[in-house]
Amino acid sequence: MNLIRNENMKIYKRKRTWVMVALVIVYVLIQIINLKTAEDTAFGKDWRTKLEQENISLSKELEKSNTLIIEDKQAKKKLLLNQYYLENNIPPDTNAWSFAVGQISNIIFAVSLIAIIIGGEIVAAEFGSGTIKLLLTQSASRTKIYFAKYTAAILFGLFLTLVGILTAILFSSFIFGLDGLGDNYFFVKDQTVVGVPILQALIGSYLLNIPFLFLAITLAFMISAAFRSTTFSIVISILVTLVGFILSIAMNGWYWTKYFVFSHTDLNQFIFGTPSVEGMTLGLSVGFIILHLLILHLISYPIFVKRDVA
Amino acid sequence: MSLLQISDLTKKVGNKTIVDRLSLEMDKGEILGLLGPNGAGKTTTIRMIVGLVSKSEGKVFINGEDTSLHFEKAMKQVGVIVENPDLYKYLSGYDNLVHFSRMNSKVTKKRISEVISLVGLEHSINEKVSTYSLGMKQRLGLAVVLVHKPSLLILDEPTNGLDPAGIRELRGHLISIVKNEGVGVIISSHLMSEMEMMCDRVAILNKGKLIGIHNVSEMVEDECSEVGFEVDRPDYAIQVLQSLLSGKTIIADRKQIKVHIPKERIPEISQHLLGAGINVYNIQTVKKTLEDKFIEITGGNIH
Repeated sequence: MNLIRNENMKIYKRKRTWVMVALVIVYVLIQIINLKTAEDTAFGKDWRTKLEQENISLSKELEKSNTLIIEDKQAKKKLLLNQYYLENNIPPDTNAWSFAVGQISNIIFAVSLIAIIIGGEIVAAEFGSGTIKLLLTQSASRTKIYFAKYTAAILFGLFLTLVGILTAILFSSFIFGLDGLGDNYFFVKDQTVVGVPILQALIGSYLLNIPFLFLAITLAFMISAAFRSTTFSIVISILVTLVGFILSIAMNGWYWTKYFVFSHTDLNQFIFGTPSVEGMTLGLSVGFIILHLLILHLISYPIFVKRDVA
Repeated sequence: MSLLQISDLTKKVGNKTIVDRLSLEMDKGEILGLLGPNGAGKTTTIRMIVGLVSKSEGKVFINGEDTSLHFEKAMKQVGVIVENPDLYKYLSGYDNLVHFSRMNSKVTKKRISEVISLVGLEHSINEKVSTYSLGMKQRLGLAVVLVHKPSLLILDEPTNGLDPAGIRELRGHLISIVKNEGVGVIISSHLMSEMEMMCDRVAILNKGKLIGIHNVSEMVEDECSEVGFEVDRPDYAIQVLQSLLSGKTIIADRKQIKVHIPKERIPEISQHLLGAGINVYNIQTVKKTLEDKFIEITGGNIH
């Protein structure tokens, strides 16, 4: 435990870390401003006509043939949801809670890219500064130091996500209001619209998006521990997660993505949606992610523990 | 039981043997120097002792605890500075101390302030290490390795990068630590004169092998020393000396004549010289340094 406290001290006593926290807050604020200035949030009283108009244009979209699978899927979902709102007379107003639910995957994506910086330097920086020599000659085994560092990197990622989500709720409440905690959150699952309490959706969505963060940090940590290079680790990890994230969206629905780990990191598809490829299940995805995390550790752990520090 | 016992310590990289079956022992309250030219294997030896580098063969016991089997238990008793003490620059001196004392159980706040005053850093302990001078960093490094009351201090090239004043200060600290805290110190360096002033014994390494362990006091005090006579008629003086010291080498360097004789013979020889009408301006005994001895032992292959 003391080792984790040490790692935390080294993370949080640096100004740089608080710049990262500020970046997350700014990112969320930009998202709020974006949504506020985009016109379709202000439905007002004539929300019915607006939704009907939207549905017409969505149907036209669907008739086009040059769209990606994901675009089709999104349009169909939106169409179903809009119809549901119209039929049940529920105005689709945004409040702080629904905003937060909608932003969770964005926030976790942004946080992952920032947390990679810590994950990528937490081991390599000790080599860079020479402090590794003092660190490894104390009364603590390398295994303990390795896992203390990994835990601290993950905790930092989780801390940033909480900052992001709390900022989202707090600041959006100034604009959209805090009402609506009792409302339901609606989503399309297997062609039907389902509603759950919004708080359940918030927590659920958070937990189901977290694997992406774990994967990103673990990748950065692996490269950091195995190759001792902060820059290399951060650059490669950011590239891989970015490309992985984009591919998992662009190639959504393609059969081969079943074997692509970034298509599995969003577990929302199993609870609050439809799996991107038929045959994918929650258990399979969780297992697939854990397998990847294990492989990463199996590469870096032996290297870190056996390495000669010269 | 010895404080530190090394047996058959060997490091091979590829087919090169960097350290070759090195064995030695040392006790508490002793300063042992590891001496050797660059590439002799001093640093590798030290890094194997403290677990930074893996051992190809051999064992290291600290207070009887095998470092390969019980690393944490063995390292509890050890403080290590390898080269310059690299500390966390973005943390304060105090946070650095807290950091490393957390890695060893049973370090009280009282002990932390104790070591701070021991190294005289009371005034700057709350400032960031990035503002410290090298000498201050060196002192903080000492505080960090002393905070858990080790019984063995291991220092690798601690004088690198220090100016003479810094080296002198470090020496003072080390000697007082050994006296007051009763620890054993193993220290590697290539600075012979420093080792001569600090160490009780020196282990001489060359090409990965231990050539010998010597008591410093014995090493530098030989019965025979080199004596130089400055005279006005060197040619004649050589003749006089030749008849007096038949068979000994006599070296003439301008007006200096150097011979290897025991101290007791100096008055006799000078009387003879004066008796022969030779003016003697200066008689000088050249004290042998550890360096001379070292070159003698290693056959002059310093580099």
